[in-house]
Amino acid sequence: MASQVFKRGPVKAEMNITPLIDVVFLLIVFFMLVNKIVSDETVPMMVPLLNDPMTRELGEVERVVVNMPSRSGNRVEPGESPSARDPNAGFVQVGTTQRFDPGDLAGITAAVAAARESAEQRGAANVEVVLRADTALFYEVVRPILDAITDAGVETVHLTALLPESGAQDAVFPGGG
Amino acid sequence: MRADAAIQQYRKQPRHSRKPKKGGMNLNLTSMIDVIFLLLVYFVVTASFAEDEGVLTARLPQQKGETEQTRETPPPTQPLRIILRSSGQAGVDISVPGASRVGNFSELQATLDGLMLDADRGKRGIFEPDHPVLIQPDGQVRWDHVVNAFNAAIAARFSNVRFVPAGEGA
Repeated sequence: MASQVFKRGPVKAEMNITPLIDVVFLLIVFFMLVNKIVSDETVPMMVPLLNDPMTRELGEVERVVVNMPSRSGNRVEPGESPSARDPNAGFVQVGTTQRFDPGDLAGITAAVAAARESAEQRGAANVEVVLRADTALFYEVVRPILDAITDAGVETVHLTALLPESGAQDAVFPGGG
Repeated sequence: MRADAAIQQYRKQPRHSRKPKKGGMNLNLTSMIDVIFLLLVYFVVTASFAEDEGVLTARLPQQKGETEQTRETPPPTQPLRIILRSSGQAGVDISVPGASRVGNFSELQATLDGLMLDADRGKRGIFEPDHPVLIQPDGQVRWDHVVNAFNAAIAARFSNVRFVPAGEGA
């Protein structure tokens, strides 16, 4: 049957796949980047929720993130009570890939020192160390890690907590508010 | 319908004019729009990921890694201590020696604020804003309470807050 528009013959159906390729390619890049940047450096955990928080955003500085999630696992269920979480650290992650046993203080010190050094070689003037520890951890678990970071020649550390405008109201400890 | 109208319009034109004009340029915007749209989505999504976490800058408890500048600071004789003790069930008892009982972190901030001496802000306490404040938690105190105590001292505008060095106090 001849086409209504083109009386001379049947229509050749051709699909322009260029935009499709663009979209697919960009989606691939998007998911690769998001997975790489976000999940590698910040392990999922419950960070402390403060009473009248004075926290600020660190901004665009060269940083070494030290993650200390609870042994309860990485996943934070919505509405989960922080006091039910395990007070011991599952592992300590320095930067994006290196994971250590919480007892391996020498390894953590070496990793923090190496991460700072490599950032400085890339030309960063000031390398900041960020400690992301789970809200449920005991102080005696975090304390040795603070010392291990100190041993890497670090003077100040940035403690991660929720920002004032965050809406996580369910993560409140008893006796804290 | 608009599509039908467009077809009718197209048919009415003399056949020779249906071909694109020689030398006329057509810019295909579709791919560019795709790319821009996806870049937009990318930045919107990544911006919202780390948005709700901030930092409190703290000095580390040991004094090994310090620079010459900070090493020259004379050791404080009588720091203001914030003592945190676990009360079981993930709760915490807060006490500040020399001050009245503190029930929670709002009260801790109010207590510290009352202890501050800052003539510019009309504060008539006994401690200068740069007076050392030491946070001294038990081992069994949850990290949440430690950071909250630290935050209360910062909120009361004390500038020299640190954790108690190893082997001292607790």
